[in-house]
Amino acid sequence: MEDHGSAALRSLLEVLPDTVLETHARLGDATACVDPTRILTVLRHLRDEPGLEFDMLMDLCAVDFLGSEPRFEVVYHLYSLAHKHRVRIKARVPEAAPEIDSAVSLYPGANWMEREVFDLYGVRFTDHPDLRRLLLYEEFEGHPLRKDYAKEKRQPLVGPGN
Amino acid sequence: MAGGRNSLTERVLDTPEDDLERDLHTEHHVLNMGPSHPATHGTVKFLIELDGETIVALDIQVGYLHRGFEKECESGTWYQAIPYTDRLNYNSAILANIGYCMAVEKLLEVDVPERCLWLRVLACELSRVGDHLTRCGAACLELAAMTPFLYGIEARELVWDLQELLCGARVTSNYIRIGGVKHGLPADFAVACRESIAKVRALLDDFEAVVTSNRIFVDRLKGTGMLSKEDCIRYAVTGPLLRAVGEPLDLRKDQPYLVYDEIDFDVPIGEVGDNYDRYLVCMEEVQQSLRIVEQCLDKLEKLGPGPVNSEDPRVRWPAKGRVFNQMEELIQQFKSVTEGPRVPEGEGYLAIESANGELGFYLVSDGSAVPYKVRCRPPSLINLAPMPLMLKGALLADLIPTFDFINMVGGECDR
Amino acid sequence: MPGSVIKVKRQEKIGWLERLYVPMIIKGLFVTGGHFFRNLRGFVTGKNRTDFVVQYPEERVDYPSAFRGMPVLVALDDGLPKCVACGLCEFACPTDCISIVPGELEGARIERYPEAFDIDMSRCMYCGLCEEACPEEAIVMSREVEISTYDRQSMIFEKENLLVHENLLKRRIDFIRGDYERDREPPKSDV
Repeated sequence: MEDHGSAALRSLLEVLPDTVLETHARLGDATACVDPTRILTVLRHLRDEPGLEFDMLMDLCAVDFLGSEPRFEVVYHLYSLAHKHRVRIKARVPEAAPEIDSAVSLYPGANWMEREVFDLYGVRFTDHPDLRRLLLYEEFEGHPLRKDYAKEKRQPLVGPGN
Repeated sequence: MAGGRNSLTERVLDTPEDDLERDLHTEHHVLNMGPSHPATHGTVKFLIELDGETIVALDIQVGYLHRGFEKECESGTWYQAIPYTDRLNYNSAILANIGYCMAVEKLLEVDVPERCLWLRVLACELSRVGDHLTRCGAACLELAAMTPFLYGIEARELVWDLQELLCGARVTSNYIRIGGVKHGLPADFAVACRESIAKVRALLDDFEAVVTSNRIFVDRLKGTGMLSKEDCIRYAVTGPLLRAVGEPLDLRKDQPYLVYDEIDFDVPIGEVGDNYDRYLVCMEEVQQSLRIVEQCLDKLEKLGPGPVNSEDPRVRWPAKGRVFNQMEELIQQFKSVTEGPRVPEGEGYLAIESANGELGFYLVSDGSAVPYKVRCRPPSLINLAPMPLMLKGALLADLIPTFDFINMVGGECDR
Repeated sequence: MPGSVIKVKRQEKIGWLERLYVPMIIKGLFVTGGHFFRNLRGFVTGKNRTDFVVQYPEERVDYPSAFRGMPVLVALDDGLPKCVACGLCEFACPTDCISIVPGELEGARIERYPEAFDIDMSRCMYCGLCEEACPEEAIVMSREVEISTYDRQSMIFEKENLLVHENLLKRRIDFIRGDYERDREPPKSDV
């Protein structure tokens, strides 16, 4: 695997070579696919290593690759305020057990983003302090951004009188 | 009634002193604010746990404006998502337009002509002015100052009239296209724009005269809604909120996109990060944006007329004049409309500095004419998340200015 | 590039003048009074009006040429639509609010025509993509925006209600024509 000239990927490959499954830097975005069970190790390394210091978790989202296994991909976009560089970390989780460790202990800002991913994709984040739906209501059935959720699907009415 | 009061008075007077001081078994009061409260512009519900007037805990419930933006984008072609991005942040629709189109251009690796870059910056900064004016004006309104609100909105109205002149709509502009913009600058735009900028500046002076050193306003803002620099970074807070704590993160400077590296402007920062700093940062940013608009006008005049769209056949819709009488162009038009560009397989994340902070678009394409995944990183949502932290131990009244300067916009927050 | 980070001027201490309220109230009254008298003068004399309020139904603002109102069908002199029912606008519409039933006229000047052409205005979002897609200049964004109704059914506009004669849409058509030859020679509407 190559580091594509990115300091973050180089450091990951040197220090935690067994966690990285794949790297690329297409379109200038340094990207590493990592082992989902080691995601916190990877994020902690990226956050604390001098010279990298990815102190902001800019974005956390998921992508549903229906038909391929593992099905869900959780995507982290990190930004370093000191060095002004970015890296994208991806971890694939299987459909049967869509679970990954929560990053809230490292980045408190992950709280709402993880709730949103749980809400819309049904990926569970273990050790999340408050894993509730964020955008939708409690009675909503299913996870709407999954590819097998039809756009036209209607939800049952909830509330008093129904 | 009278008898009851008398007996109560007597009872109190009779009570020994130590009895008065014993615990009264008070409990926290949970207040439901919203979803439709005049101060929760946008639709958001606060569950506030109060001890007297002090906020003990705050739970924010968002999502009332969720309309499936990302799901909707996955069912149309790439260009059909552009009007939907207008509806993300209705105060600065063009910024979301530009973010999305630039992300698609990144995936397609399309370059746009220089004239288009300057036009986009112009449109961008007009939007930013409108957004900040709304934020500061609405904050004044909710702190019971109606006059500055009207001045702010009047200035915004001037800016929106310019947007209407440029794009054809005040709010839902739908102006930016993949690989260009819809049409060039209208002939009378430069004159109208300079005129309006002068008027906006005069209104801003009045706005500041009434508000900036007004003791009531300053007392309401100073020291409220503080968030430390460390917390801002841990919560990935961006935009004026982060700049108010003194961290000069502005993607226009740090990762210059469009032509921001050729433009002369300053990044205002604050000191402590309370609402007063946020207000001052926003007002200064309006001034800087007006400076940028003027530079864009100068540059566009110097560049003169010419193409504003990329010539790449994948994204270019053929010129209409030829569609009418040339078969090849007509076929091209049919292909462009029914299918649009086929974006190569891959993924890309592109962030721009919107009025609220980093507005990012993470797009995944499977090589077809339909987006596989359109993720919008909403600065409103992410900036709203640390709000309980800002307000812990604060008074209930501090919630209003804090929420105003976070500038949560329902359309963008809930998507 | 020049331009750097600047620190905002934070007013740490409030002077005794501001602390007294009264001088600030007078200063504020000067600002608001200035606005009031300027607006009043403009309103009374009718010249150099600076107030934004327009007495709506009697008085209207002029929209710029680029303005996008509701989409309408262009009618020719014989009252027939210019549309050839190719269905491109149907494809381009992000909200699927257009539905067309094509028909054919034997021996007419334009053989294809829309037998039915419905636009559901309650779904239309005035984005103008139909106009951009149309290869016949047959659907354009008019300047009409006052289309409120009392029920949803009457928000569905049928062909007869959408037809507007070409001459009435001249301003819009001229505007979009400015962009037709954009890569041959610069459009006139450019700076």
